[in-house]
Amino acid sequence: MAERAGHRGYIGARPLNGSRTPQHVQNIVIRDYARRKNLHYLLSAAEHTMPSSYMVLEDILDELPRLRGLILYSIFMLPPDEARRRAIYDRVLSEGCDLHAAVEEITLSSRDNIQAVEDILLVNKFATIL
Amino acid sequence: MTDTAFLEADEQALAQRFIDDGFVTTPADHRAGLDRIQRRAAELAADYLKLPHGNDPYAMLDTIHTRVSVDDLNGLRLHVFNGLNAEPWFRPTYFRLARSTIETIVGNELCMQRRVNLSIQLPGDDSSLLATHSDVWSGDSPFEVVVWVPLVDVHRTKSMYLLPPSLNGDMQDRMASLRSAEELYQTIKPHATFIEIPYGHVMLFNQTLMHGNRINEEAGSRWSMNCRFKSIMSPYADKRFGEFFEPILLRPATRVGMQYKLPGGFHG
Repeated sequence: MAERAGHRGYIGARPLNGSRTPQHVQNIVIRDYARRKNLHYLLSAAEHTMPSSYMVLEDILDELPRLRGLILYSIFMLPPDEARRRAIYDRVLSEGCDLHAAVEEITLSSRDNIQAVEDILLVNKFATIL
Repeated sequence: MTDTAFLEADEQALAQRFIDDGFVTTPADHRAGLDRIQRRAAELAADYLKLPHGNDPYAMLDTIHTRVSVDDLNGLRLHVFNGLNAEPWFRPTYFRLARSTIETIVGNELCMQRRVNLSIQLPGDDSSLLATHSDVWSGDSPFEVVVWVPLVDVHRTKSMYLLPPSLNGDMQDRMASLRSAEELYQTIKPHATFIEIPYGHVMLFNQTLMHGNRINEEAGSRWSMNCRFKSIMSPYADKRFGEFFEPILLRPATRVGMQYKLPGGFHG
């Protein structure tokens, strides 16, 4: 098998939890995270601004056989549908890759990590922010 | 087209080409400036590769694949990108390459992207591909245009492709049923046009149209720069004024207008 390239960054153009972060700042956060975790960062792909589009994420998932993993700017960029998220975890892990979220400093590298990630996403769905 | 009675015939023709084709190519307004950019890019590449500066910058760039590996390509690209953008003359010169076309298509009060992007595509390399996209989908305003400038002759897969305006709407309507950008490319592939641009010319294109690149299957390496321009008072999207764009041409009447305050202090 050819040498895998590194970790692809994944940034977004849609607000997250009601907040907007400039794309170049998202890239700085990912680049810094990759440096601290000793990951080889590959130029980020930016998700579409259209609501509910995950076309760019799908392209990265298709690229996984040539990658070591992906680094999301935030875990809250994952699709809201739990079944779709679990399909993503399956694809990442079955390709021998891992998934990181830079803002939350989350690493998903085995099935044991999935529930912790899902707990964060579920609590965020129901808890309010003052 | 509207307002045609107020435009010169050559402006009308240029505007109509942009509307009909989604792009226009023209000889650079400032050829000496383009040559200076090309020469500086070649010098920066030579510095990165620890080679002496040569006297044929075109050949240096076009054959860079004989001197750099795919693994080291992004390091080279970042070195040249940072070096060019650090030159105080670079962005004003870039603007002058296409000034007359920008002013006809966009206007004469302008903002410009803060950093001019650089792409290098070695023959056969699949690490620097841009999937089918419209810039608007990732946060650019539909009021922007892209000025795209090759530093070598580009044609076929050494260039970029663009979907014609007449088909873009229909293809966008099909998008939601497709899974990935690669599926989207396969859908538009029969209609996408690779644009041939000789060195010395510049292209201005409508970035709301689907575009991208594929693996460069030609003999030489592609070097191209791209930068966005928009009318300063037109609507912004996620790429905001200040953080992504900065003003380059603001006219006195606009400065006066922005500073004007109506008389106050009335008590009636």
